[in-house]
Amino acid sequence: MVMRIGVPAETAPGERRVAATPRTVDLWIRDGFEVSVESGLGDGADIPDEAYREAGADVIDDAESVWADADILVKVRAPRQRSDGRHEAGLLAEGAVLISLIDPARNEDLIDMLAERGATVLALDQVPRITRAQSVDVLSSMASIAGYRAVIEAASHYGRFFGARSTAAGSSPPAEVMVIGAGVAGLAAIATARELGAQVKAFDVRPTVETEVESLGARFLELDIPREGAEGEGGYAAEMDDAFIEKEMELFRREVPETDIVITTAAIPGKAAPTLVTNEMVASMRPGSVIVDLAAETGGNCEATESGEASEFEGVQILGFTDLTSRLPTQASDYFGRNVSNLFRFLGDADGFEVDAEDEVIRGMMVLERGQDRWPPPEPAAPSPSDEPSESAAEQAETSAPAPAAQQEDRTGLALPVAIASAVALLVLIGLYAPASFVQHLTVFVLACFVGWRVIWDVTSSLHTPLMSVTNAISGIIIVGGIIQVTQGASWATLLLGAAAVFVASINIFGGFWVTQRMLGMFRAEGSGKGGGQ
Amino acid sequence: MIPESLATVGYLFAAILFIQALAGLSNQETARRGNIYGIVGMVIAIAVTIGIVADLAWAWAIGPVVAGATIGVLWASTVPMTSMPQMVAILNSFVGLGAVFVSYSSFLDPPAGLTGVEQTIHDIEVYVDVTVGALTFTGSVIAYGKLGGMIRSQPVLVPGRHLLNLVVLGVVVGAGVPFVGEMSAANLMWLSLNAGLAGLLGLHMVMAIGGADMPVVVSLLNSYSGWAAAAAGFLLSNDLLIITGALVGSSGAILSYIMCRGMNRSLTNVILGGWGTQAGGGSSEGGEDQGDATSVETDEVVQALRGAERVVIVPGYGMAVAGAQHAVSRLTDKLRDAGVEVRFAIHPVAGRMPGHMNVLLAEADVPYDIVDELEVANRSLGETDVALVVGANDIVNPDAVDDPSTPIYGMPQIEVWNAKRVVIVKRSLSPGYAGVPNPLFYRDNTWMYFGDATDRVEDLLAAID
Repeated sequence: MVMRIGVPAETAPGERRVAATPRTVDLWIRDGFEVSVESGLGDGADIPDEAYREAGADVIDDAESVWADADILVKVRAPRQRSDGRHEAGLLAEGAVLISLIDPARNEDLIDMLAERGATVLALDQVPRITRAQSVDVLSSMASIAGYRAVIEAASHYGRFFGARSTAAGSSPPAEVMVIGAGVAGLAAIATARELGAQVKAFDVRPTVETEVESLGARFLELDIPREGAEGEGGYAAEMDDAFIEKEMELFRREVPETDIVITTAAIPGKAAPTLVTNEMVASMRPGSVIVDLAAETGGNCEATESGEASEFEGVQILGFTDLTSRLPTQASDYFGRNVSNLFRFLGDADGFEVDAEDEVIRGMMVLERGQDRWPPPEPAAPSPSDEPSESAAEQAETSAPAPAAQQEDRTGLALPVAIASAVALLVLIGLYAPASFVQHLTVFVLACFVGWRVIWDVTSSLHTPLMSVTNAISGIIIVGGIIQVTQGASWATLLLGAAAVFVASINIFGGFWVTQRMLGMFRAEGSGKGGGQ
Repeated sequence: MIPESLATVGYLFAAILFIQALAGLSNQETARRGNIYGIVGMVIAIAVTIGIVADLAWAWAIGPVVAGATIGVLWASTVPMTSMPQMVAILNSFVGLGAVFVSYSSFLDPPAGLTGVEQTIHDIEVYVDVTVGALTFTGSVIAYGKLGGMIRSQPVLVPGRHLLNLVVLGVVVGAGVPFVGEMSAANLMWLSLNAGLAGLLGLHMVMAIGGADMPVVVSLLNSYSGWAAAAAGFLLSNDLLIITGALVGSSGAILSYIMCRGMNRSLTNVILGGWGTQAGGGSSEGGEDQGDATSVETDEVVQALRGAERVVIVPGYGMAVAGAQHAVSRLTDKLRDAGVEVRFAIHPVAGRMPGHMNVLLAEADVPYDIVDELEVANRSLGETDVALVVGANDIVNPDAVDDPSTPIYGMPQIEVWNAKRVVIVKRSLSPGYAGVPNPLFYRDNTWMYFGDATDRVEDLLAAID
């Protein structure tokens, strides 16, 4: 039986994104799936039905048959009550696979309904934050769009230029933008504001993002207390103590009045967003200033935010839009569709399609498996700080991708104490039992290793081959061992062995130095003439 | 016979010169002076050693030196640069062999007056040195064979090889116990068993590795050869040997590390199993927009090169195999004469040993200051009009950057796909050593220019006038 993927139109008001673009459909068709999309699916994202048809999808007018015929149903928003009173979850075929945003922590009723259908549910908002899963991470791609759009919204509500301009009438200074929370959305906002020419400053409780912030050309706001405590167990910020929060607030009180645009991005999944910008701070801003609150959906970082609305408080405009990604629908759909098609790399093509709960990525996203409750997934075996530098204290919803390097550090982090401990133990044993002469040689040996380590790192990579041949030559120093053995009184066996050692070592010494010299003669700089090989 | 303190000072001086020799390699200008330092250091070391041996059997020392020197110099002056990996491998093996000889001879003729713990330590040193030396020797000989094409390069995987390795290693350690334990006639047997088994281990280990993993093997054996020399130094209570061995050992270790990082793999992963042996993972076939590869002819490539302002050439092992570096160099000259900016981008693991590509290009008279490393090259590929890939594959695979399911995911890549146009000189569309398909071939801005690297570059040269 051929597997059919269904993509129904989104029914949530204001939702203009789609979960699959014609490009996504095209990849599915190549993978051997059949695809049906509901007519009008792409209207909000400016994708005509015709484009889907060209990509190979069956465009179907009737939403219910899209739902009912699909073995795999893909959409953006979690299933919801439709305007005709029926719930979308009830339309899903028995035992089908549903892939969409779910927010399982807040949608228990929905999950019960889906469980009744025996559905397998993969939540796109639960992609584990590991390197392998980055290409599937919808939250992160949506966050970067939201960050961009937040700045665009701010710019269109702000009465002045963002960048400095000079005209015959005089010049105007650049806008001062402050970004709170430097996760994916925050960094996207910083980059966009910089591109528009604004001066940007950013705050985050995690000291580790400082370099990322600065690399985008923004100023990183420092708290004048040690920040070691900011990153706690598992990368989640430790509970901030009162002193810390007080310092943070003090910083905001000092910075906010001099700021034209404030963009807040601090949200905790499944919890209310922390209040970071108080009414008092808003009132201290110049009239005409703009605040964009990306955490509006979960209560907002700004006290005066009205979720979903643009409002005004003491002359300051506060934008609490919750549909920032839908305000860039074509781009958001493109990213969303790419994330979805990347997910299918983990699920396989039409012949090999399998929701494999053994796979870390799939397991993390799995809410239901054939109607059985699978959420939340078991804790990873050893959650480590560097593995998930994300949702942090003052509460970033999103984060920059954990780099592979972080995982490596993590591994050495575990191995290092063990290595040091065993080295110490070994040294103590040697110190206790070995004769002085041995310890002396050991000292020389260890110091030489360190010198070698330092010196070799400086060798330019283009000279690695000469490095190897010259080390070949100097390790011919083993000749010394041979010479010491060939003495007048030595036995025949010793003489022969010693002479053999001298022989092979000589090949090394002469061959190694000679060939190195020859090679080095070939390296010439621009304009230094043709330095012939031999 | 010179006083002991003078000898020590002489050795110290030699050691400093050796360090200077390595430090000189930090850039091309000081490198040659560094090599001279090394030679002077070696002369001093040998002179001092002769000085401290009271009753040197001159004939036994001079004869082998002359013979060895003749072979070494002849070889070094004739070896083609494409064969440098083999040369380095075989020189590694000599150090291992030398260490075995020295240990045997010290075993047969131990220093006088060893008692108790000293005797035990001496025995352990002999034993360990023979193990490391023998392993280095056979491993390097096999590497030499593989690199020189005398042995098939494909990994030879014996069933249960990990277990086999463990058993052999166990016996090596086990045989050491009676050897160190007491003086007996059987000791020579134990030592030889050790030598044989360690040799087997080295042989088996290198047989199981092949192809693109050879740079790691060569650097690793280079490192072993250093440790073997250092162990001999302990054995003979000779600090110069210890220092030199440690320098060489760390050098090889760092190179191995750099090579592994260049492939985003751990050392264990390289030694225990090649790419070819892993379960393929989710192959990306069909996942990417595969479509058809665009095959082009000489005229089109010439036109693209002529119209370019900036060309980056990415050489791989295929260039070395075809011996195309000279043709590439001439092409570079022509393009530069015509006002095109030409640069080279070198991946750390391109070729069969660290820095191999750089030496080949230097041999072909390409100035080293237009040759860039990976990171530097990647920064400017976006402003490049044509990226010309000559005989490389796994180092220019976009899947390694954005497809987590491919086995080479995470391996740093020369991101040629950022250039406006990519021209790939290659015999066919077949995958490289890693055995993963390369979606780059099917991209819209990629042209496949099929054929032998030398022939094709010569065609370009002929047509460009």
